[in-house]
Amino acid sequence: MLLTTDKLGRAAFERGTGWALRGEGACRGDLCVPLPDGVVGEAVDVARLAEHLGMPLVRHSDELAALGPATLGGKVLASAEAPELVLPDINGHEFDLRSLRGQKIVLVAWSPY
Amino acid sequence: MCLDALGAEAARPYIERAQPQHPSLIDVAHLVDERFGVVNIPNSIWIDEAGMIVRPAEPAWPDAPETPQEAQRDDPAPKAAEPPPGRLGEMMAMAGQIVTDRAAYLAALHDWVERGAASAFALAPGEVIARSGRRGSEQATAAAEFELGQHLYRSGDLEGARAHFSESQRLHPDNWTYKRQAWSLEPSAFDGPLARFWQGPLPDRESDWPYQGDWVSDATVTGPANYYPRFRR
Repeated sequence: MLLTTDKLGRAAFERGTGWALRGEGACRGDLCVPLPDGVVGEAVDVARLAEHLGMPLVRHSDELAALGPATLGGKVLASAEAPELVLPDINGHEFDLRSLRGQKIVLVAWSPY
Repeated sequence: MCLDALGAEAARPYIERAQPQHPSLIDVAHLVDERFGVVNIPNSIWIDEAGMIVRPAEPAWPDAPETPQEAQRDDPAPKAAEPPPGRLGEMMAMAGQIVTDRAAYLAALHDWVERGAASAFALAPGEVIARSGRRGSEQATAAAEFELGQHLYRSGDLEGARAHFSESQRLHPDNWTYKRQAWSLEPSAFDGPLARFWQGPLPDRESDWPYQGDWVSDATVTGPANYYPRFRR
């Protein structure tokens, strides 16, 4: 996720990374990573949380950086539970993948190149 | 989901022509690369009724044209008057040799739709994770580099974008979406629906090409038999 500050709100971090910040730690699917005190308060200490989740922080400038995905377990998926995914449709309306729960989903990635 | 930094307008002619009955989403930042492990296109992920992935990202042709030539035949965009020979011919020859498992994939998909968890193609959670692709520090850093590249490109900083795209390609050379996206944003030798497949140096301007690799060169090294992993149960 793109970052323009080292401190983020919890909701912004969760939406940008797909990790939920709960009392037991940072969770994705059935996997939860305990976090030390002070990493998550009203705001998220991005650098410390990134270190705990094995997320690389790449800086373009003092004002712009990107947080890469977690490397826990060495695999793209840490759980078979489908990650959160909210994307716009062609008219700009947001679509939440979870709205299809109860149906089989074939998620197809394509491009015009 | 259309993975393209150029956004909805680049996807619109294809989606409107297909008139899909399913949601058609626009993934400008390649979020599905990062979250689901897509590394080439077309790819698919199967998810069951409970929200569990039963097949991670893999090559997929649920209903796609056979080749770029067929794509051009069916494409709603204007046709190139006379594409130049040389590189285009190399591209077409290489594309024609790429090995795919369209029939096996489609049969497996139908089997899963009919039989659900009883299908032999529906994988257990441990196997889904195991097949989901490697993500070490290099792949994760490549994802961050690619996201910066996408953002800078859309912000108009082409040089900044190229630097981060190049780094993403260096760190994760097996990720074709990183390459194909970045290369497709460079000038093409012709117009029309195949223009964005050029993905390489312009004739007589080879030194202007900003990347280490290009589609023809990299696909040649990879080999048409290895461009897409074979479908397996």
